[in-house]
Amino acid sequence: MRIGVFICQCGTNIAGTVDTRAVAKKAMEFPDVVFAVDYMYTCSEPGQKEIQDAISSHRLQGVVVAACSPRMHEPTFRRAVKKAGINPYMFEQANIREHCSWIGTDREANTRKAIDMVRMSVEKLRRNQALFSTQVAVNKRVLVIGGGVAGIQAALDCSDGGLEVVMVEREPSIGGKMAKLDKTFPTIDCSSCILGPKMVDVAQKENIRLYAYSEVEAISGYIGNFKVDIRKKATYVDWNACTGCGECTQKCPSKKAFDHFNEGLGATTAINIPFPQAIPKKARIDSDYCRYLTGGKCRVCEKICPVKAIRFDMKDEIVTEEVGAIIVASGYDLFDARVYGEYGGGRYPDVISAMQYERILSASGPYGGHIRRPSDGREPKEIVFISCVGSRDISVDRPYCSGICCMYIAKQAIMTRDHIPDSNCYVSYMDIRAPGKGYDEFIRRAQEEYGVKYIRGRVGRIYPRGDRLVVQGADTLLGVQVEIEADLVVLATGVECSAGARPLAEKLRISYDQHGFYMESHPKLRPVETNTAGVFLAGVCQGPKDIPASVGQGSAAASKVQALFSRDTIETDPQVAHVNENMCIGCGKCEQVCPFGAIRMKTLRDGSRKSEVLETVCQGCGLCNATCPNKAIQLRHSTDDQILAEINTLFD
Amino acid sequence: MDDKTNALREHVKGIFSNLELVLGWEPGYDPLHTRPFYVRTESDIDRLTANCLSFQNLTRYLAKSMNAVDPAADGRKIGVCVKGCDSRSLVALIQEKFVSRDRVYVIGLPCRGTLDARRIRALVPDPARIRSVNAEGDELVVETDRGISRFALDRAIARKCLQCRYPNPVIHDVLIGDPVTPRLKIDAENPSVAAVEALSLEDRLLFWENQLDRCIRCFACRNACPLCVCQNHCIMETRMPKWITQYRNMNEKFMFHMIHALHLAGRCTECGECERVCPVGIPVALIKEKINAIIYEMLDYESGIDPEAVPPLLTFSPKETGI
Repeated sequence: MRIGVFICQCGTNIAGTVDTRAVAKKAMEFPDVVFAVDYMYTCSEPGQKEIQDAISSHRLQGVVVAACSPRMHEPTFRRAVKKAGINPYMFEQANIREHCSWIGTDREANTRKAIDMVRMSVEKLRRNQALFSTQVAVNKRVLVIGGGVAGIQAALDCSDGGLEVVMVEREPSIGGKMAKLDKTFPTIDCSSCILGPKMVDVAQKENIRLYAYSEVEAISGYIGNFKVDIRKKATYVDWNACTGCGECTQKCPSKKAFDHFNEGLGATTAINIPFPQAIPKKARIDSDYCRYLTGGKCRVCEKICPVKAIRFDMKDEIVTEEVGAIIVASGYDLFDARVYGEYGGGRYPDVISAMQYERILSASGPYGGHIRRPSDGREPKEIVFISCVGSRDISVDRPYCSGICCMYIAKQAIMTRDHIPDSNCYVSYMDIRAPGKGYDEFIRRAQEEYGVKYIRGRVGRIYPRGDRLVVQGADTLLGVQVEIEADLVVLATGVECSAGARPLAEKLRISYDQHGFYMESHPKLRPVETNTAGVFLAGVCQGPKDIPASVGQGSAAASKVQALFSRDTIETDPQVAHVNENMCIGCGKCEQVCPFGAIRMKTLRDGSRKSEVLETVCQGCGLCNATCPNKAIQLRHSTDDQILAEINTLFD
Repeated sequence: MDDKTNALREHVKGIFSNLELVLGWEPGYDPLHTRPFYVRTESDIDRLTANCLSFQNLTRYLAKSMNAVDPAADGRKIGVCVKGCDSRSLVALIQEKFVSRDRVYVIGLPCRGTLDARRIRALVPDPARIRSVNAEGDELVVETDRGISRFALDRAIARKCLQCRYPNPVIHDVLIGDPVTPRLKIDAENPSVAAVEALSLEDRLLFWENQLDRCIRCFACRNACPLCVCQNHCIMETRMPKWITQYRNMNEKFMFHMIHALHLAGRCTECGECERVCPVGIPVALIKEKINAIIYEMLDYESGIDPEAVPPLLTFSPKETGI
C-alpha cells in the first residue's frame, strides 16, 4: 500500500506544542508511507487540495491525516479523498489535537506522542479495506406513539407532507395531558379550544390511522422497514358501530367508576366516554367496574344501545403495521405527591395535585368550573400553592427541574383570583424559573396585578385544624417562620417519566437516562434523533418541557421523518459488524447482547446455527464483537486485528 | 460419591427403552480411574459404575459431541448422569441454549466428593500395587498387595470437593441416593481464594508466575471444560484475529489463561474439570473461582442455578449497582 501522511498544524493549536515537521519527517520511516508533509490548516480548501494532489502525484492508496478529532472533520476528509478517487474508508485520522497538543505543554513529549499516534494510524490503515454502502428501500409510513400534543403535531405535520401516519394512543382518547388543562400559560387561552381542532384534524385526515386505547406490543425491523405489533385493548364496544351518542352512559347503573380524566375527582359510569371532546368519541366499558363483567348480571347498555355496538365477548387484538420511521411522543406522568408524607397528599381531601386543581378550574370538570373544596364543596378563600413537589429534590430522586410548575402555578393563582376575587393565594417557592417568551412578565402579572403572595421557602408540614389546613413553612427572605391557615392546598407535582417509558424504550431499543427520559442522540445538535436510526423523539418523553417546546419538537421530529422519506432508499453505513460463518459457533450471545436487534440466528442446511447481521439495523457499537468468545463477529473498519496492530506498534 | 453402581444400573434398566443413550462412567484402565461411557444398548448397562472415582463431568459431551440443542423428533431423550457440580454445568448449558431441557433425562447423583488421583498417589507411594479404592463413611479404604490401609477421606478428595456447596444436583429427573449435607454454606467465602488473597501482592504475582510458568498450552483445561464450547474454532488457535502467538513466554501463557477465564466469567460453574485434567498441576480453576467471587459480590449472581436466569454479562439491567 502507498500511504500519504498529512500533519495539520491547526494554526498554533497543534503546532504550538507539537513539532509537526518532525512528526512528518518521522512518518516517512513508517512502513508503506511514501509521502508525508505538515500543513497550516489541512481542513481548509487548499489543505484538502494538497491531499488530493498528493493522491494523484504519489499514487497514494491510503491517507492518514493527523489533526483534530474525527468527530470534527472525518466526514470532510473522507469526502476529500473520495473526490480524489480513493475509497473513503482508506482514510484514518489521528487526533493529535484533543488527545495530544491541547492536553500537555511539554513540546518534546507531545511530539513523541504525536509520532506514536501517527504510527498507530498507519498500522491501522495498512489493514483497512475498501468499504461500500448499500441501499435499502424505505417504507414511507410513520408510526407516532402517543397522542398528546407533541404526537398530534408530529402526526399532522407528517400527514400534511403526504405521509401515511399510524398513531397509537394508550388512553381511550387522544389529547394527552393538555386535554385535561383548563387554560394555558402565558396567554390564558383555553386549552381545549386550541387543542380541540388539532384533535379533530387527526380524526378527519384520511392518511392518519388512529389506534386509540392501544399499545405497542413489539417492534422489529430497522430504519425504513419496521414491523410493529399493536395491541388493541378490549373496549367491549364495537367502535365501528358506536356513534358516541352517550345513551349507554346515561343508563349505566354502575356510577362509581374511577374517573381517570378528572383525576379521580368525582366518579363516572362503568361505560363512559372520557370527555365531551374525546377523539375518537366512542364509549368504552371499564371492566373493573362493569356489573356484567364483574358480577355476571346487568347488560343494561346492551339493551339501550341503539346501534347494538356492545360486545361483552371482546378480547384484546393484535394488529401489525409496517412503517419506515417512528416518532415517540409517549409523554409523561406526574409525581405521586403521597411520597411526601408531611404534605398529606392522598390523606387530606383538600390537599390536591395541580392537575386535580386544573380539572376543578375547567368548565368541563367535575364541578363545572366552580372552585370548590373536594371535602365539603365549600368555596375556598385561602389557597396555598406549593412548588417543587417532586422536582429539584435529591431525596426523592428527582434532582431535575420540571420546568413547567412555576408557570402553571402562576396561571392557576391568576385564575383563582379571577374566579374568587376575595380569595388569598400564596405560593411557596424555591426559585422562580420563567425563561420563556412572555413568561417572566406573566409571573410579574400574578404578583403585581393579581396580588398573589409569593413566599420564598419550603413548606415543612401540613396538618388539619378544624376543617382547615395549617401550612407551616419558612420565609427565607424575611428569615421567619410562616404559618397559614388554608382552605385548599395545591401541590405542584413535578414531571416524571411515564410508567411505561422504560419497557417501551426496550421495545424500541433506544436508551433512557437514569430518570427514564429518552436519550437524544446529541443534547444540542441532534435533539430529536435517537441513537437508533429511524426513531425520533417529541415531547416530554425526552425531558420536561412545556407546550410550545413539545409542539416545536413534534414538528421537528416530523421534519426529520420527511427528510428521511424524501428519498426512496437509504444509504447504510458500512462500518457494521460482520460474521465469519466458518468461525461462528452459533452460541447466540451476540444476539442476546445486541441493543438494536441487529443480529438474528439462522440455520444452515447442515443444521448448524450461525448468527447473521442485519447490516441496515447494525449501528456498529461493537458489543457483539466484544462478547463473541472466539471473535467470529468483527466490526468492519475496527477489526480486532486492526486494534491489535495499533497496540502492538506502540510496544515494538 | 458413595458407591451407587447397583442402584444406578437398576434405574437405567427400568427406563432404558425410552432413552436414546445414557452418558455414564465405566471402570477405567486402573483402580484409580473410571472413564466416560456411552450406554447405547441394553447389554452396556452392566458396565455402568458410579462411585468416588466418577469424576468426569459428562455434560460436556452434550454440547461438544452431540446435538442436544433441540428435542429429538421422536421425543427420545439422552440420559445423563450428573453430580451436584455437573448439574450446574448442565443448567448453564440450558441457559445458553446449547442443550434443550426436553432433550435430556437427568439422573442426579448426590455426591460427597470425588477422589483426586494425585492426592491418592501422595498417600500411597507405590500406586502400581493398588488393587482397589473405596469410600466408606469418612474413610478411604485402599487395598494394596500388602494389605488394606485406611485414610481420612478428606485427604484424598479433590480440592473443589473440600469446598463443595452444591453436592446435590440442582436439576434432575430422578435422584439416586439420599441428598447429602453441603460442606460449605451457599454464601460462604471460598477458602482457596481467601488463601491466595492473603498473600502480599508480590507473593501473589510470584505464586501465579510459578504456577503458570509450567503451562504447556496443551489446552486440556479448555477441552475438558463443559462451557468452553467453541471447540476447534477457539480463538487460541486462530490467526485471524491474532490474539495469541505461539511464542513460549509468560505473556502468552498469562494471556491464554486470562482469555479462558474471562470467557467463563459469570458462566463457570466450578466443576473443576480444568484443574483435574491439567497435566502439570496448575490450579486453573482458582482463577475462575476468584472471578466467580467478584461476580457474586458485584452482581449477586451465581451461574448454573436457575435455568431461566440470564447470565449477567449477557444482559444489562439499569438496576445494577457497584460497577
